[in-house]
Amino acid sequence: MKIVLDRPRCEGHGLCEEAAPQLMHLDDDGELVIDREEVGDTEAPLANAAVRVCPVAALRIA
Amino acid sequence: MSTRVRRIVVVGNGIAGLTAADSLRGNGFDGELTIVGDEPYAAYSRPALSKALLLDGGDMSSHELPSAEHGANELLGVRASGLDVERRVVSLDDGTVLPYDRLVIASGSRARRLSDLPEEFTLRGLDDAWALRDRLAARPSVAVVGGGPLGMEIASGCLASGCRVTLVSQGAPLIAQLGPYLAGVFAEAALNRGLTVVETDGARLERRGEDVRVVLADNTVVEAELVVSAVGDVPNTEWLAETGLVERGVLHTDSRGRVRPDIAAIGDLAAFTTPYGRRRIPLWSSAIEQAKVAAAVLLRGDEAPPLDFQPYFWTEQFGLTLKAVGRLPVAGEPTYIEGGPGGPSLMRWSHDDGSGSAVALNHRIPIPRLRRVSRAAV
Repeated sequence: MKIVLDRPRCEGHGLCEEAAPQLMHLDDDGELVIDREEVGDTEAPLANAAVRVCPVAALRIA
Repeated sequence: MSTRVRRIVVVGNGIAGLTAADSLRGNGFDGELTIVGDEPYAAYSRPALSKALLLDGGDMSSHELPSAEHGANELLGVRASGLDVERRVVSLDDGTVLPYDRLVIASGSRARRLSDLPEEFTLRGLDDAWALRDRLAARPSVAVVGGGPLGMEIASGCLASGCRVTLVSQGAPLIAQLGPYLAGVFAEAALNRGLTVVETDGARLERRGEDVRVVLADNTVVEAELVVSAVGDVPNTEWLAETGLVERGVLHTDSRGRVRPDIAAIGDLAAFTTPYGRRRIPLWSSAIEQAKVAAAVLLRGDEAPPLDFQPYFWTEQFGLTLKAVGRLPVAGEPTYIEGGPGGPSLMRWSHDDGSGSAVALNHRIPIPRLRRVSRAAV
């Protein structure tokens, strides 16, 4: 599975980073960086949690 | 996981119910899962309704969430009408009965109203948002009653739509929620954008001919073509009236979200223990954190960790975006960690108990960093 970011939607809340710091972080400018786009079964729950917590639905799993 | 848990019912398809259903699956529950939602829509982002969705020109999708993955049997457009905790059965208003082994109560809350007048608009659900958008297209004069974050976001959206807007507030807008310093920052931004603010000790609505008007505590009148109230929410707990679980309209949970060993209550209707006492925290991230804890505890019992929730609050209005962690409202002046008054900034307030609140204004900052700033003076 792959984590996909819809950058124009992202408001930089960073709740996703809080849910899955192993997979993504906000950089110094508050822009989201997906550190691991391709995730396996082990990280799937983390990735799903990050997607779900975003209040502006800027993330999805493809 | 207990093999006896075969059927779980989630009442409520907001972010709390949705997250609970997701988390039940994430915790390995592969039994029969049913989710009941009183709106005929997939779960959506409620915070967006008073923010981007009011402002969106052509984009009507800012509230949409990724589709649910929990594979539950979804019963939408139907309302729970009763619960028998002894027989473990939820009844719905279409006559359906749903037996359960575990139950998640996430039926949320609704807008508190000032009147029974159909002309009184509120903004709580998706239908409300569509209706309000439709009305704003004709650029009516608007009176918004309620000076909390929702009322101010609505007023901001109405102004941005080209309406003349009067905000009626009990005390200065946002002062009760954010404290005087931040309320002052928002008041200045709102006034600069043309908002008229009227402070009063109380307001009621009355019909005069074809129009509805706002009557203030001193009997002066605010006239407008459209009246929107944003005066708080009322938990949807009436369907639980005979269960003995409801105390003064809310459900009091233990540290893991339970109201009974087999029932969890989460989201806007649940009062849980916080560092500031037992209370409801009807916010987005609160609902999500409660839901995760509740899902784990319903399947694993006390080995699941208790809720350790730190509020995260944000608002967007009048060109300002505020993000806050830690206790609100805040008293006195902040320490500026970055930036300064009038620009993008990061502020911190210290509290007597050693904790702090961190607030970012028009400043993109990761929440983990905001939390670190709130915890430790920098």
